[in-house]
Amino acid sequence: MESDNDVALDIIITNVVCVFRTRCHLNLRKIALEGTNVIYKRDVGKVLMKLRKPRITASIWSSGKVICTGATSEEEAKLGARRLARSLQKLGFKVKFTDFKVVNVLAVCTMPFEIRLPEFTKSNRPLASYEPELHPAASYRIKNLKATLQVFSTGSITVTAPSVQFVATAVEQIYPLVFESRKTAR
Amino acid sequence: MSPRVCKNCGGTDIDIDQARGDAVCTSCGSVLEDNIIVSEVQFVENSGGGSSAVGQFVSSESSGKAPSLGAGFHNSLGKESRAQTLQNGKRQIHHLGNQLQLNQHCLDTAFNFFKMAVSKHLTRGRKMTHVIAACLYLVCRTEGTPHMLLDLSDLLQVNVYVLGKTFLLLARELCINAPAIDPCLYIPRFAHMLEFGDKNHEVSMTALRLLQRMKRDWMHTGRRPSGLCGAALLVAARMHDFRRTVKEIIRVVKVCESTLRKRLNEFEDTPTSQLTVEQFMKVDLEEECDPPSFTAGLRKIKIQQIEQELTKKIQDVEDEIASYQDEIETELENSRPKLKGMYASLLKDGIQWGEPAPRSSLTSGIHGESEAEDEELTVASNHLSKDLYNKMQQKNPESVDGQCQPASKTPSLTSLLGPLPTAASLGLTESIKECIEDKKEKNGENGELDLNGIDDSEIERYLLNESEIKIKTELWMKENADYLKEQKEKEERIAKEKELGIYKEHKPKKSSKKREPIRASTAGEAIEKMLEQKKISSKINYDVLRDLNKGGGTPNHEQDGIIHSGSAKKSATRRRSTNNNRDISTPVSNMGKSHPGGAQSRADAPPHQEESDEVARASDQDASLVRYPGHAGGTMSLGWPGNALGFSRKS
Repeated sequence: MESDNDVALDIIITNVVCVFRTRCHLNLRKIALEGTNVIYKRDVGKVLMKLRKPRITASIWSSGKVICTGATSEEEAKLGARRLARSLQKLGFKVKFTDFKVVNVLAVCTMPFEIRLPEFTKSNRPLASYEPELHPAASYRIKNLKATLQVFSTGSITVTAPSVQFVATAVEQIYPLVFESRKTAR
Repeated sequence: MSPRVCKNCGGTDIDIDQARGDAVCTSCGSVLEDNIIVSEVQFVENSGGGSSAVGQFVSSESSGKAPSLGAGFHNSLGKESRAQTLQNGKRQIHHLGNQLQLNQHCLDTAFNFFKMAVSKHLTRGRKMTHVIAACLYLVCRTEGTPHMLLDLSDLLQVNVYVLGKTFLLLARELCINAPAIDPCLYIPRFAHMLEFGDKNHEVSMTALRLLQRMKRDWMHTGRRPSGLCGAALLVAARMHDFRRTVKEIIRVVKVCESTLRKRLNEFEDTPTSQLTVEQFMKVDLEEECDPPSFTAGLRKIKIQQIEQELTKKIQDVEDEIASYQDEIETELENSRPKLKGMYASLLKDGIQWGEPAPRSSLTSGIHGESEAEDEELTVASNHLSKDLYNKMQQKNPESVDGQCQPASKTPSLTSLLGPLPTAASLGLTESIKECIEDKKEKNGENGELDLNGIDDSEIERYLLNESEIKIKTELWMKENADYLKEQKEKEERIAKEKELGIYKEHKPKKSSKKREPIRASTAGEAIEKMLEQKKISSKINYDVLRDLNKGGGTPNHEQDGIIHSGSAKKSATRRRSTNNNRDISTPVSNMGKSHPGGAQSRADAPPHQEESDEVARASDQDASLVRYPGHAGGTMSLGWPGNALGFSRKS
């Protein structure tokens, strides 16, 4: 996706996390024994199943709730989730595909300039916080979008938000703020 | 509350007499209120003839209960929880602050932050010590003292990031802007620790200049200030002929060796490093450098660009080849009508087959099908095109000339190929569109699984067949044999208990400590040891209990206890001991455990149940053992030796 304000920035989505419910109790032991690509974490009580085609990892609980991570787009996430449900169906469980929801999207975006972090933090006081002792990036939260952005001094920005649309909006919102505190060429 | 309207007659003229405390309606004479609460000052005559006001000073924070034991007894009992929390917090702040050598003003500010945090309920769900540390660090930041978060975490033995999280939250909730930390603040402190003697000031100044230089060269953004300080100090020391090794610096500055080396390397890259000592002191270079991560990033970008250019060139070349191939095709078309027939037959047979690669318009349509077929297609097409090319080379050297005139050929190409492929491609694109639309259908409401785009055969590959299942089952059983045994035993046990009717639902215990059996010579000793472990009641003064039996034979224990819990305050409600923070708060009952010289061993609880019951009974009866909640046993013994003795005399 591209956000065209004055500049075309490439926002690369690296991870999409989604959840869905199968509405039926799942026997984790059976899944663990009959699947090729599963890891049974008995101490936590879940099964990790990895799919190759859309590269996703799913955590399956016996209650029927499934969390799917690793997809690179929302459509891919949905496809992977459906594939997963299909394979569970094949194992013999009466799965239904309900309550599918994309929960988190992680995207990376690079600005063509560096950013002065102390300046950026000062001008955006309550929303931005920068602790060099703890983490090299300044973190900026947008409450109404429920998005968190991590701004690095090299100009790369990591965005996490509940959907891809919010990610784009967040980047659009932060671009002018970051542009102010950019490091001007010497 | 002044009554305005009389209930009987409705008159508004009401006379309020402060002296008698009455409210009377003047029109009908009915008394509306008596015993009105009056807020006047009363005076009392004291001995000597003077008069003093009656009343007590009440703190705005506390409510209700006034200290009944007289003024000055500020560690009073029965205060409400909020006041106790604040008092506790104040004590802890002072304790920590003194260890950090903070002045009184800072400590007071920290206490104010703490009060604000408590009123916003930020202490809930967090360890008190973390909140206190965060308040103190906030003060350090606002005052600009050279204290690092690392120092605080060292004192408390807590992970820095945990403290950092609490600190960030506190700063955000209290809307306090902590100014960014400047590495220059740390230099005097570290320089002092590195013991430069007389030249301390000079080295510090040099290091400061180095740091400023580093800042302008963009080395400091996103880096720990302590690492930069370390590098600056190292260079400054060397400049002034002090031999400080990397290890010494690391010990003082608390960064890793590799971090320091990295900083030094980065500094080496800047042009300032090329100057000599004298030059550096005199001249300040005008140039500024990019931050090192940026230059690393630039290098990556350059490499990527080069790669892109290469791929572009390759693509160009490929395109050229493709265009040449097209022209060769046309030549063949012109010279060999048979080949055209071959194509046509291929086209008619199966749309999926037989289009050679250069006809990209069709192959793109075919990509809608599965990948396997694609691969076969490309292989076949390559094979075909190779054949054609070879044949053509042999028989038509003229067509090579045809390549030199691309422009004239292309319109004929399209006109020739126009009708045939486009029909096919149209048909394909329609089916492709259908496929795409199917995928977009949503089926969340039914809960039924939409099987479009899901290849069943592929998914079957994910499932093991029977023999594999057997093998995996065996392996899994072997691996998890212990767990399965446990489960079986548990079930048997539960079944037995059910039969007997004793079956209880055991909730998972949070922590069950294993205790060694007590070895004691007398009953008194045994009670002592068991009490120390079990911590039955926080309201028992274990000192006095011990003294009951031994009669002053344990003065050492008392004193050690005093040292340990010197400034600690133990609230009545707290029963659990905090294991981490010994110096801050130690319940008196832990005294025996905390000092290493204690000869007591841990006891096993069940065999001594009767004794504990006895003691519990005894403690209920014996008022002397009851300690006032809110007292540290240590301070009580210190400040009120008379009390301890006096109370024990009663028994």
